Amino acid sequence: MSGLFEKLISYMQYPFVRYALIVGVLIALCSSLLGVTLVLKRFSFIGDGLSHVAFGAMAIAAMLKLTHEMPLVLAITVLCAVLILRTGQRAKIKGDAAIAMISVGSLAIGYLLMNLFSTSGNLSGDVCSTLFGSTSILTLTQTEVWLCSVLSLAVVVIFILFYNRIFSVTFDESFARATGTRADVYNLLIAIVTAVIIVLAMNLVGSLLISALIIFPALSAMRVFKSFLSVTICSAISSVICALLGILISILAGTPVGSTIVAVNIVMFALFSILSHTVIGGKRA
Amino acid sequence: MKKTIFILIAAALAVLLTACAPSAPAQPEVDLTQMSSTMKYSEVYNMLTTPENYIGKQVKMAGTFAVYEGENRSYYACVIADASACCSQGIEFVLGGDAAYPEDYPAVGEYITVTGVFDSYTEGALKYCQLIEAEII
Repeated sequence: MSGLFEKLISYMQYPFVRYALIVGVLIALCSSLLGVTLVLKRFSFIGDGLSHVAFGAMAIAAMLKLTHEMPLVLAITVLCAVLILRTGQRAKIKGDAAIAMISVGSLAIGYLLMNLFSTSGNLSGDVCSTLFGSTSILTLTQTEVWLCSVLSLAVVVIFILFYNRIFSVTFDESFARATGTRADVYNLLIAIVTAVIIVLAMNLVGSLLISALIIFPALSAMRVFKSFLSVTICSAISSVICALLGILISILAGTPVGSTIVAVNIVMFALFSILSHTVIGGKRA
Repeated sequence: MKKTIFILIAAALAVLLTACAPSAPAQPEVDLTQMSSTMKYSEVYNMLTTPENYIGKQVKMAGTFAVYEGENRSYYACVIADASACCSQGIEFVLGGDAAYPEDYPAVGEYITVTGVFDSYTEGALKYCQLIEAEII
């Protein structure tokens, strides 16, 4: 055990490990904050859809040989998020069908573009890295860490500032409209913030596993807590703990970072479910 | 008095024996063999993207032996894979002395441990990294 601790201390000397922990915690915090809203609005699968859009956008950026791909990926993902969330109720192709269509369409086009215009000698590695994160989180540059930190901070500030409006739009959009809340504006805000989180989280867990970061902490918290505030706080804490544990386990045991974080989230969900059945269920009985 | 003389002689012998003992091999400054696969992959990535931070350092790494045929010469490398086994990267090494291929090299695909001094060089418009004065152990 002490050997393991010494190894961890020695790993902490590496700047890229510290960067990974900082960015991992920030992304986990942001995704969990918004996760509660998305789960309650029945948009759990939007993370998956938008991450595939981001994958397609990354393929376009690679095709254009862009050095800094994030602005383009962010712009395309935000645009698609707005299209899905805002036009979902008016469009002829509704909610889940629109997400599914954009999701698989982007994935297919992205992979096609990468195959046709690949500039890398390791196409399968690039695709695998984008889909599952691979060690992307451990290969961040200082600039990327700063960018992630600024965007994460912006997400947290927006969530805190507009907490009450997001709360009312989440639970009863019609009532929120009736009381003068501009629901469309806040839905747009949620769409933009969701897209930002998706693009950030691609570094952490890859595009196929992003949904886990959004839904698991919220669902775990909902097993035990009932109010919006308590669920949000619990979700944020559990998400941060899972991300930290996941990153530390993966660097110590040599497991893939993204899937380890998701595995820890699954264990946390199981623990909360047991807690809900035994302690809380027992009290109610 | 006798006791003091005995202690002094014993101490002198101890110092002499320590000085005569063969010196331990120099510890590598970057020992990738002691790292988990995730850490190893990330560290090699950092070595290849920021070589200026590692130039002149003694590196020890373990991985699969690979040979790449170039236009003018062959490149010998130690290749490692990441935890998800979808990505791999390697560092070229140049054996010390007059090593000849294939006599002094292992079979392609064999798992090897290699040590050498980290260095970089430019070929064409690109910068490459390698371990010079390398030794397969």
